[in-house]
Formats: sequence, structure tokens, C-alpha cells
Amino acid sequence: MRLGLGPIALEMATRTQLESLAGAAVAASFDAVWVAESRAEGVGGGLAAAAMLAQAVPIRVGAAVDAGLYHPLYLAEDIAIADLTSGGRIEGLLRHADVAASRYEAPTERAWWEEFLNVLAGALSGAHIQFDGAHLRVPARIEANQPAPERLALNPRPAQPAVPIWVESTETGLEHLARDLGFGIANHFQRGSSVPAATGRWPGMLLCPGDVQANALLVAAGESAGYFVIAAESPEEVADAGRRLAGPLRMPDLPAWITSQ
Amino acid sequence: MRLGLGIFGMQSVPQRPDHHVKLYRDVLEDALLAESLHFDSIWLSEHHFWFDGYCPADIAVAGAILGRTTRLGVGTAVMLLPMHSVQKVADDAATMSRLGGGRLSLGVALGYRDAEFDGFGVRRKDRGKLMDAMLPRLEESCRAAEPRVPLYVGVATAVAAQRAARLGLPLFADSTMNPAELRGMLDAYNTAAAAAGVTPPRTHALQRDVFVTDDRGRDWAMLLPELRYMRRQYGGWSFPQETDETVPAYLQRLELDIEAKLKNLIMGDAAHVAGRLREFEALGFDLIVCRSQFGNLPRESLHRAIRGLSQVRDMVSP
Repeated sequence: MRLGLGPIALEMATRTQLESLAGAAVAASFDAVWVAESRAEGVGGGLAAAAMLAQAVPIRVGAAVDAGLYHPLYLAEDIAIADLTSGGRIEGLLRHADVAASRYEAPTERAWWEEFLNVLAGALSGAHIQFDGAHLRVPARIEANQPAPERLALNPRPAQPAVPIWVESTETGLEHLARDLGFGIANHFQRGSSVPAATGRWPGMLLCPGDVQANALLVAAGESAGYFVIAAESPEEVADAGRRLAGPLRMPDLPAWITSQ
Repeated sequence: MRLGLGIFGMQSVPQRPDHHVKLYRDVLEDALLAESLHFDSIWLSEHHFWFDGYCPADIAVAGAILGRTTRLGVGTAVMLLPMHSVQKVADDAATMSRLGGGRLSLGVALGYRDAEFDGFGVRRKDRGKLMDAMLPRLEESCRAAEPRVPLYVGVATAVAAQRAARLGLPLFADSTMNPAELRGMLDAYNTAAAAAGVTPPRTHALQRDVFVTDDRGRDWAMLLPELRYMRRQYGGWSFPQETDETVPAYLQRLELDIEAKLKNLIMGDAAHVAGRLREFEALGFDLIVCRSQFGNLPRESLHRAIRGLSQVRDMVSP
């Protein structure tokens, strides 16, 4: 089981607040701290903010990004550079931000989102890619652009052989594609819901409210591993969540008395 | 006069390859050194899809530097705006300016390498039109950001300067322009600003190749392969090999360009460099970003040059 803090909304957060919450996450034995951009409100820079936060804490840092709003190679480059600056501690959560599409003059068709994920996965794989879709042609091989190669590669590559990236599940068809491309699946916790099935070595992710109880998460996980990202708004809430969740998630049948003092 | 330190591309160059994890660790160390020596700022450069891993995502690096430092400014020198989503740039910059306490600056320019435009599905020939459309939007966003994001327009030609002038934006002049060319460009800028009814900024920014040394012979031998690689790379992007041109003929053509560009390098002891920089200050440049990192210099040599440049800073802005 893995335990993350956040995603902390970047809308109102200051650097001091981010570092305070992240420091509390380290002290409470969280595995990762997450930040979230909100491009519908003009708040971008999720990966840059993650790169910033990674300088303050030794744990992994995740960025929940509004994807599908601009060319996927820019996202691939942001991921690679944030990962390199952090020494390989970056994780990602892709959210399909239809609500921000008009600000970005981005397509909203399902096919665009699928092509976006395909190109992103291809670029991050290190392959020399060529992609021909209805929305995306990579490289574009525009006749007026000469010389331009038939294929391109993301350079530099991320530090990690495979950066763990989850896609927020919105529909079954998309979930299948995301899995086929090697992305983990994330969902919002609801009472009675299950952790999404793992993709390869990436466990399913559940985005959880701050007051969630360990038993509910263990039930959601069943026989599987789970990655639980817990919302918290203050260092005290972070500490409380850590005390409540870290032990039971890491050891089956942890006696309650051991953490009750 | 403010001195910035630059420009960092985190390249694993053929003559001195390194893993990129180390190169990014190095630039964070360099930023800390720059902050400890009271430089105004550190500046990052951008290119895409190049085998040496030239940094393609400046704002992500800026985030790491802002996280590692507390006072140092961080700038892009320059971001190749027409290839980007201007909304993404604006939103990223506004957020990082807020988180970084107003320490982020943007320098933006056209870009020129066809393969980069092609990667993002943009016609290189459209770059001027795109810049015309994007720059006002970005200027508005940078002005509205809290704290405001200083925005500079990277230029190497009078036409590009005139575009900036119409918006009253300060220039970030290219390192390859000599004083006469800079004077001509500033004249064109001021004329265009007056025609547009715009009050021009009092000062501009300039990039210069600068290497402070107390042993020119030793350091020139060390620098020359690095400078040659850098200039061959930029020259190769600016003037691609023609289809009917042999490789030897092409390299000869590039060599002429390299020789011309190397003449603009300012190299010498601190007093010499300070004197040369004051000439540019007199032209109207109050921020000079001194490029002392060419490719991937030996760490000891780079740090010696940076410390030497801090002596220059003490002389020009005590």
C-alpha cells in the first residue's frame, strides 16, 4: 500500500504553505506529496511546482495536471525535466480538463484525448516516434519545414526508466486505452468502491477525503495493493491522517493499541 | 547595471558527456553559487529534440531553482514562444511567479530550427505571425500576474525589435550582435515605438558571451572546443546544409560563421570585462546576462569563471 498527501491545490497555496504541508507529510511517513494545477482558473505549472517542492522534501512528488489542452510533447518534456531535477522522484496524474479547453482553444473530441495519450506514452518510452492521427501528426512533416526528420525522440529522457503516471478514469473505453499504454488508473474514493485494478506494476489509485478511515481503504483494496492519496489542509490534518492510516495500511491486523498512545 | 548568469542548457555534449541527472544537479549547485555571490539572476535556454538533451522545458527547471534558492531571479533566455501554447506559458509563468515570490522572468523569441517547429506541428514560416498574435496575449497575462512577470523579447534583428517596440516591451538582445548592430537595432526600436505612440522602456537586457580569467592561454585552450561545438550547433540550426552542398563545404561555411561569432566573446580579467560591459550599459542595457557556460565546461573552470564574474559585478554595480 502506498500513501500520498494531496493533491494540494495550487490556486491559493503559497510556497511556505506547500513546504509546510510537504514537511508534515515527510514527518507523518507519507510516501509522496501531490500538487494540482487548475488551468480552468489559470493555474498551471503543476510539474514546475512539483519540481520546486521536490527541492524541499526527500519523498516522491506528484503533479496532477490538466492534460489534453496543448501538445503532448510539451507535457512529456515537462515530466522529463521535473523528473531529472528531482533525481527521479516525479509522479503524474492526468486529468481530462474539458472545462479548460476553451481557454486553450483545444479540441474536446475523444479522439484527440486518445491521440494525446498515445503520443505522450510514446515520447516517454524513449522510442523514436512517428504518429499519424486525425488531430496529431508527430513529427508533422510539414513540407515547408525543411530539414525536418521523419521521426523524433524526447530528449533528455526522464531519470526514471518509467515515470509512474495515472489517468483519472472517466469512462471504461478510455480506461482500457490508458491501461494498454501502461498508465495506472485513478479514481475518486466512494464508500463501497474498489481500488482500480493495477496496470503492470502501478497499483490503482484512489483520491480520498481527509477523514477516510483505514478500514475503508483496506476494504477498497481487497486483495490488491492500493495507492491512496489523502486530502489534508493543515499540517495537523496531515499528522492525523498519517497516524490513522500509515500503520494499518502497511501491516495487516495491526493492533490498535500500538498507535493509540 | 545588473548581472545575470547564463545561459544554461544542461547539454550532454559529445566532448564532455554526462548523465542528465548530474547536469541538473549541477545547475542547481550553480544557482546556489550564483545566489551566494549575489548575482541578480540565472538564465536558462531552450531547444527541443536534440541528441545532447538541450533543455526543452525551462519553466520546469526554473521551478527547481526557485525551490532551491530564496533570492535569486530565474529567467528564460529564451523561450521559443511560437512553438508553445501561449496560454500554457502564461498560466505556468503566473503560477511560478506567485510561488517563487516574483523571481521569474520570461525572455521569449521566435526560434529558428525547422525540426523543432515540425515536432509541434507548426510551420516555421508562420513564426512571425504567431509571435504577433501571441506576444500581446502573453504581455497582458504577465502584467496581470501577481507578482508581475517581467517579459523581454529576444531579438537579433531590427524587424524583431520593431515588434517588441510596438508593445513597449524591453529587448533581450542576442549575444552575437556587435555594438554597431545593437545601436542600429535600438534606433529601429525607438523609431517604431514612437510611431506606435508607445513610451519605450528606459533600459533593455543583453546577452553576452563572457569568460573571466586570469590565465587567458590556459582557458582559451579549454574553451575553444566548447565554443566551437556551441557555435557549430547554433550555426547548423540557423544555416542547415543545402541539399547540393558537400559536408566539407558546409563545414567550411559554418567555420566562417563561427570565426565571426567568436569575435564577440569578452574574455579577460575582471577589470577588462567590466570595462567592456560598461560600453553596453552606455548603449542602454541595464541587465547583462553573461554566458559563461558553453556546453558542459569542467566544473572547476566554470566556477572559477563565475567567481571572477562576481568580481566584475562588484565593479559595475557596487
